Amino acid sequence: MAGIKDLRGRITSVGNIRQITRAMEMVSTTKLRRFQDRTMASKPYSEEITGLVGRLCKVLGDEAENQPLLQPGKGDRTLALVVTSDRGLCGAYNSNLLKVLEKWRKDREQPVDYMVIGKKGFGYMDRRDFEIKRFINEPILEKTDYRAASLTARSLVREFLSGEYSEVVLVFTAFKNISKYIPQVVSLLPVSPDELIGDDSGSSAGTLLEPDATQIFESLMPRYLETRVYNVLLESLTSEFASRRFAMSNATEAASDMQTELRGMYNKMRQEKITMELLDLVGGVEAVK
Amino acid sequence: MADSLTLRIITPEKVLMETQAQSVQFPAQDGLTGVLKGHAPLVAALDAGVLSWKGSEGDQEMFISGGFCEVRDNVVRVVTESGEPVSEIDVDRAEKSAVRARERMAGKNIDFDAAEFDLVRAQAALRRSLMRQAAGRRTRR
Repeated sequence: MAGIKDLRGRITSVGNIRQITRAMEMVSTTKLRRFQDRTMASKPYSEEITGLVGRLCKVLGDEAENQPLLQPGKGDRTLALVVTSDRGLCGAYNSNLLKVLEKWRKDREQPVDYMVIGKKGFGYMDRRDFEIKRFINEPILEKTDYRAASLTARSLVREFLSGEYSEVVLVFTAFKNISKYIPQVVSLLPVSPDELIGDDSGSSAGTLLEPDATQIFESLMPRYLETRVYNVLLESLTSEFASRRFAMSNATEAASDMQTELRGMYNKMRQEKITMELLDLVGGVEAVK
Repeated sequence: MADSLTLRIITPEKVLMETQAQSVQFPAQDGLTGVLKGHAPLVAALDAGVLSWKGSEGDQEMFISGGFCEVRDNVVRVVTESGEPVSEIDVDRAEKSAVRARERMAGKNIDFDAAEFDLVRAQAALRRSLMRQAAGRRTRR
C-alpha cells in the first residue's frame, strides 16, 4: 500500500527535528541564565558610574554644558549602532528589530550611517541601501565582554567628536522580562544632563573633588558611555536567547503534535492493510472450499 | 568593628570585594590618599596602582587599573575596570605587556587599524603594566 512507508519516514524525520529543537531550547536556557547573571553582576558598576556622573553634573552646573559630549555634534549626519544576532532560529528577534529600524529611518530627515553588530543584521542591511560604515564582528558577539564594549564605545565617541555627526543612536532590543523584549532606538550622544541627574537624593554639596570636577568629569564620561554600550550588548544578547528559547520551545511542541498526528494516521493505515489482507485470505479460503 | 568603613570594589563584571576596613589607601591621580572613618565626602580619579586597606584580617592589597573612588557616609566605593590581589599578579605577563606597550609607542607591531592606535593609550598601558610589575615583585620578596 502506497504511503505507509513515506509516513514512517516522516515520523522519523519529525522526531529528529524535535530532538534538535529541544536540544537548542536547553542550550538557550542555560545561555539565557548566564547572560541574565552577567547583567545582574554589572548593575552595581553601572549604577555607581551613573550616580557619579549625575552628582558631578550637579556640581558642575552650567559649566557642564560646555562639555563637547553634552552638545549636539557639528555634523549633519546621524550615526547608528545596530545590534542584531549572529545566528538565526531565534524567532522574530531580528526581523522585529529591523522593522523598528526601517520605520525609524523613514521618519528621519538626516542621512544615517550605520555600525552593525551581528551577521544577521549585516546580511539584511548590506543587501539594501543602508550606508554601512563598519561591521563589527570581532570578537564573536556571544563572547563579548566589557573590553569589547569599551572599544566600540570609544570608536562611537571618536566618530561623534570628529564633527561629521550631530547625534549617535543605539538600535537594540531591550530586555524587560523573560517573555518581553522590545526593540528600540535610544540616543547615546549627545548626553543630556537631565537624564543623568535623575532622582539622586544624596547631598553632593561640599564634596571634595580631586583633581577637580571638570577633570574627573572628562575621564568619567567615557566610562559612562562604555557601560551604556556594555549594557546594551548584554541586554540584546539576553533578549536573543530568550527569544530563541521561546521559538525553540514552540517548535518542539509543534513537532510533538505533528508526530502524534502522523503516528495516528500511520496506525490507521497499518490496521486497514492488515484487515484487507485478512479479508483476502478468508475470501481465498472460502473459494477453495 | 565599631569604627570602621565599608569598602566596596566594583568592576563591570562583578562586585569584587565588600568588606569592613579601618582605613583605606588608594592611588588618586594627585598621589596616594588615605581615608579613615568620618571622612568628608570625596570623589577622586584614580591612577593604576595599589589599593590597600586595614581590615579584620590585617593589611590587604589589591592592584587596580585606574578608575574612581567615592567616599560618602563612611562607604568607600572604588569603581575600576579590573582589580586583582597583589599576590596573584603574573609578573611575566606584566613584563610582556610592558614590552608590547613600548613597541606600540615606537610605532612597531601595530596589528589593529591605524585609527585605533593611540599614543596616550599605549603610554597608559605601559604605566599599568609597570605598576603591576612593581606591585607583584614587592610581595615576592
